Amino acid sequence: MYCTNLKLFRIALSLCFAVIFYGGIAGQTAVPIPPKPERVRPVMPPVPAPENALRAAIFGERITTERSIAVDPNTNIKVCVLEGNLKINGWERDEMRVFVKNGSRFGLKILEKDSASGKAVWVLIANSSVARPGRAQSSECLSGERIEIDVPMKASLSVSGRATETTIDSVKKAFVKNVEGNISLRNISGGITAVTYQGDVTVENSGGSISLESATGNITGYEVSPGQIGDVFKAKTNSGAISLQNVEHRQIESNSITGSLLFNGKFLPGGQYSFKTSNGAIRLMIPAESSCQIIASYGFGQFNSDIALKYTMDNVTPSGKSLVASMGAGDAAVKITTSSGRIGIRKQ
Amino acid sequence: MSGKCFDIGTIQAFLDGETAPELSAAVTNHVSACDLCAVKLADADEENSIVFSALDREFNTLVPTQRLWTRINETITVEKSQHSVWQRILAAFPLASPSFAAFAGIVMLIGFFAVVNGLRDGSGEDIASSNAPAGLVRPPSTAAVQQSVPAEIRTDENDIAAPPSAFLALVKESRIPADKIRNAVSNAKLVGIRDRPRYENAVAAAPAYLPGEVSYVKTISELKESVDGQKDRVLTPSSRIAYERDMAVVNDSIKRMQTVVRGNPRNQAAKQVLYSAYQDKIDLLNSVAQQEELMASLR
Repeated sequence: MYCTNLKLFRIALSLCFAVIFYGGIAGQTAVPIPPKPERVRPVMPPVPAPENALRAAIFGERITTERSIAVDPNTNIKVCVLEGNLKINGWERDEMRVFVKNGSRFGLKILEKDSASGKAVWVLIANSSVARPGRAQSSECLSGERIEIDVPMKASLSVSGRATETTIDSVKKAFVKNVEGNISLRNISGGITAVTYQGDVTVENSGGSISLESATGNITGYEVSPGQIGDVFKAKTNSGAISLQNVEHRQIESNSITGSLLFNGKFLPGGQYSFKTSNGAIRLMIPAESSCQIIASYGFGQFNSDIALKYTMDNVTPSGKSLVASMGAGDAAVKITTSSGRIGIRKQ
Repeated sequence: MSGKCFDIGTIQAFLDGETAPELSAAVTNHVSACDLCAVKLADADEENSIVFSALDREFNTLVPTQRLWTRINETITVEKSQHSVWQRILAAFPLASPSFAAFAGIVMLIGFFAVVNGLRDGSGEDIASSNAPAGLVRPPSTAAVQQSVPAEIRTDENDIAAPPSAFLALVKESRIPADKIRNAVSNAKLVGIRDRPRYENAVAAAPAYLPGEVSYVKTISELKESVDGQKDRVLTPSSRIAYERDMAVVNDSIKRMQTVVRGNPRNQAAKQVLYSAYQDKIDLLNSVAQQEELMASLR
């Protein structure tokens, strides 16, 4: 400690002398200097106005554009949207059309073609605006007041966005990832991955392996079925509610931290169901004749059931509660975990 | 000659140097041949000299000219050359400047407090006490000290310079020369808290962690470190509120279930809920990290 302080003192003293010495030298050289002549700013020659057609490209003005190309029915389409309402719709044509209202210019980049038909099988919809002089290259992402894309019904989509309201209807497969904005998906048969950090996710009349995630929004799924055996339905939100109605997957994982969970459907034989919250309520609305085994751990929460259960194990202590019970033959496995939420089983 | 004589105005202008060259030449020729005009010119010149001598001070004050600048610079140069060596040295310390004097005063004050503090602390228990002469250190057994000097001394962030008290006691009671102890200390690897992940501290502070719990705590600690720097930038105010609320709920769950599990380590249900809460916390932290990744990919 003493050494440290001594060092500190030495440094302070050296600094003091150095500053004084430098100040003296600087003071000696201070001689009145005649005022400098005023610097004349060079006058730039006037820039000629660009042509109207180029103006949007160069200065990023908002324009309305429509483009279309012939594509393979099973094409993959990738698009990134910074902001705007995005609507993607499947149609029965082997071509895709992109319409951007009051937005950036864009181009359709064919990344891969089918060797037999010569049609595009992988297309990127990218911003084609030129970066402003002196600025970094602009993003590939589109922006616009309204963005509409029509694609073949068997197309697979990959969409990423920043602040986007996304609606996708009647395509084969969809992968959507948004920072902000709601996602609405319907009639998608081949699987869905949808993530939004601020917004709701809604899936309707769809199938395949499904993964839905939101940080602060609600998740709703109804009339959803697996495409093939082993397809999983996952729904996860931090503070939103999860509502599942007629979800026919045999593997369902549903997880919310502070939101509630509602399952309204059937537990299928051989199915594995997991419902988990930290603080929210879990409510299961199932037929009275359901066949399942229920394994519940509910810490400081509560459990009650309108349907008669055969208890295999019921461990209720003030410091942690758990039970194992069954309905019918116990064909499906239902695992329910909550720290302090309520678990309720109701008849449909 | 009077017909060719110039009026007094022209003569005055000639004296002031305001006439054109041709007129100046004509006036000069005429005055040299005309006595009357020569007298007029002389009178005018005399009047000028009287007037200008009277108004000289005002003219010089009100209209600074290049001559004035020259005179100032000359004066400075002359004065500088007349300074003695001591005057030059004194000039190198412009203590007359108020701002400089204030700054120097602050620096001196800091130095003074450093000295006072150093003298006061120097008498206490300090690593510097090992610098004391060997004779002042009390006897010890050499072997004991050699065994006891740790190969790695872990210290807290604020205690980098202060070794553990047990070690200090050993040093005090040591009969080993101070140099040897100093070498042992300097060879020992001092590990500050900032050099290692925080979970080591957490694990050390709570030795009752379950085997599976430690990996959760490590993961959470690592994630938290990166997320804490990002969340202000990534999350909007509303999302931030939701995040903090969720985090508080999860932390509360963890805390409560930890208490339960510590009380009864065989309570499998409580363990399961505890692990589930840990997983929730990881998911929560991950969501911020993933959001940051997505935002970065869109830039």
